[in-house]
Amino acid sequence: MTKLSGIYVLWYREILIYLRNSVKFFTSIFLPLLFLVFFGTGLKTIFPLVSLPYDFAEFFFPGILALSITTMALSSTMSIVWDREFGFLKEILVSPVPRSYIALGKILGAASTALIEGALLLLATPYLGINFSLKIFFEGLAIIFLIAYGMATLGIFLTARLKKTESFTFILQLIIAPMVFLSGAFFPINNSPHWMINLSKYNPLTYGINSLRWVILSHTLPASTISQLTTNGFIPSLSIFILFTIIITILSLQLFKRLI
Amino acid sequence: MSQGIKNTQEEILEVIQVENLRKKYGAIKAVAGISFSVKKGEIFGFLGPNGAGKTTTINILCTLARPTAGVAYINDYNVTSHPDQVRNSIGLVFQEITLDNHLTAEENLFFHAMLYGVSRKEFTQRKIELLKLCELWERRKAKIENFSSGMKRRLEIARALINQPKILFLDEPTIGLDPQTRKKVWDYIFTVRKKKDITIFLTTQYLNEAESCDRVAIIDQGKIIALDTPDNLKKMIGGDIITMKTEDNEKAETEFKQKFPEYSIKRLGKELKIEVDQGDEFLPILVKSLPSKIISMELRRPTLEDVFLELTGRQIRENNNGQLEEETPAFDLSTLFSFFTTPKKEKNNKNTKND
Repeated sequence: MTKLSGIYVLWYREILIYLRNSVKFFTSIFLPLLFLVFFGTGLKTIFPLVSLPYDFAEFFFPGILALSITTMALSSTMSIVWDREFGFLKEILVSPVPRSYIALGKILGAASTALIEGALLLLATPYLGINFSLKIFFEGLAIIFLIAYGMATLGIFLTARLKKTESFTFILQLIIAPMVFLSGAFFPINNSPHWMINLSKYNPLTYGINSLRWVILSHTLPASTISQLTTNGFIPSLSIFILFTIIITILSLQLFKRLI
Repeated sequence: MSQGIKNTQEEILEVIQVENLRKKYGAIKAVAGISFSVKKGEIFGFLGPNGAGKTTTINILCTLARPTAGVAYINDYNVTSHPDQVRNSIGLVFQEITLDNHLTAEENLFFHAMLYGVSRKEFTQRKIELLKLCELWERRKAKIENFSSGMKRRLEIARALINQPKILFLDEPTIGLDPQTRKKVWDYIFTVRKKKDITIFLTTQYLNEAESCDRVAIIDQGKIIALDTPDNLKKMIGGDIITMKTEDNEKAETEFKQKFPEYSIKRLGKELKIEVDQGDEFLPILVKSLPSKIISMELRRPTLEDVFLELTGRQIRENNNGQLEEETPAFDLSTLFSFFTTPKKEKNNKNTKND
């Protein structure tokens, strides 16, 4: 019982911090929409020159969605650096709750906050000319949770042993930026030079975004068009991403067990 | 003594047992073989200068660090083989504040209760009692960001009591607090001891605080150099201490040694320090028999400072160079200015301060 309530309380804390910090909450919803409207509209002006079988917003939206939840999940678990800085981590670590449960509580909390954000953003879908249904909503949520979970675990993996708070921002940028650029969130990776395609194959986020595109656009675009926007089919992408989450979970929990 | 748990049936009288505990960090011996035991219900103080090994010992006892050698039992559980049971029987307050700034006072207690598997029903009862005990009931819905350091400390102690621990560990509970707040925290510690059936283990470098403990272990350079009640420790020195200033200390010292060879006399700065059995009776005799002109005289009971000085030849807040350490505030503006002054000047300032 102690163990489960430990997971619960760490999960609850993440949600509480997210919902209570109204600035964080509103920017997390507002910023992706801002991106979508301004960045999307700006880029759209270039695209009419090339005739594409899809609307730019249709391509862009799943990418922005994945980007937002990735940032949210990563920054939530990486906040463990701040917990360490302000001493609260010590209070958690000295409790009888096993280390792996502490990590799981934190990861699930981060994934849940990203899920809240993702759910609200998904509601914007119908206004972007994307055909929407309840099925897409729930399937989309499942993929969002999976991506958020994977990225949150990656965050734990990267920061569990980090002692210096200053290194934190560097890692965040050094990891997030290349991961996002190589994931096909902003441009279809298929049309990129070979070296970039090769690199993107080793990027777990690529497969997360692939899966999300397949699900969200399933009622809007024909499968042939979606496959132009993604590197792999739905089943392979999802399988590879699930494999990634399993591996990273094992690695992070092992790392977290040996903390202090 | 088989594998951790022993005589669980009988009532445990010694809640902390430590035998020959050692901890090495590389070549540095932080704890160099200490043994002691703490009785149920006592306030046990660990007194020693910075870096004496106090925090390392607490960390080992609270399962945050593994000993290099030796054994320690908390509530009859071995700290290395049964860390989870140990963690369940202790409450721990760290030297630094470890509250969650995002949360309110009440929520901080709730989180702790959940981490320690306290049921909601029990939590609600204990919460009311403990928040009232630490006098934060009115502020329970306030975010702790805005609390003073004394309030935070009291809340931390209350938090450590939520899971009804058998032993409460306090690592320098009053460090960085002003004297008034320090007193309030101590009053609170005493109330806790009175109201709860609890053993308190604390570390401190403040001598007057160590005097309030039931028993004190004086620790220096990783070793316990004395362990007894404050009164008994002070008896080691003798009865009373007379300090006096004379016009010619050197002359007075030799005269004293001739006339009273049975008592010890030491020169300490500009004063002479004499240890005697019955100070009040000895004082008139001393005045009559010393021909040197006496400027001032003081009779006092020995303090733990005298004990520490006697045992180590150093004062407790003295660093290795024999200079008294000054109490530095957590954030000292002068350090900022020191960037602008030349190092040479700084040196001069320091010298004059210590004179």
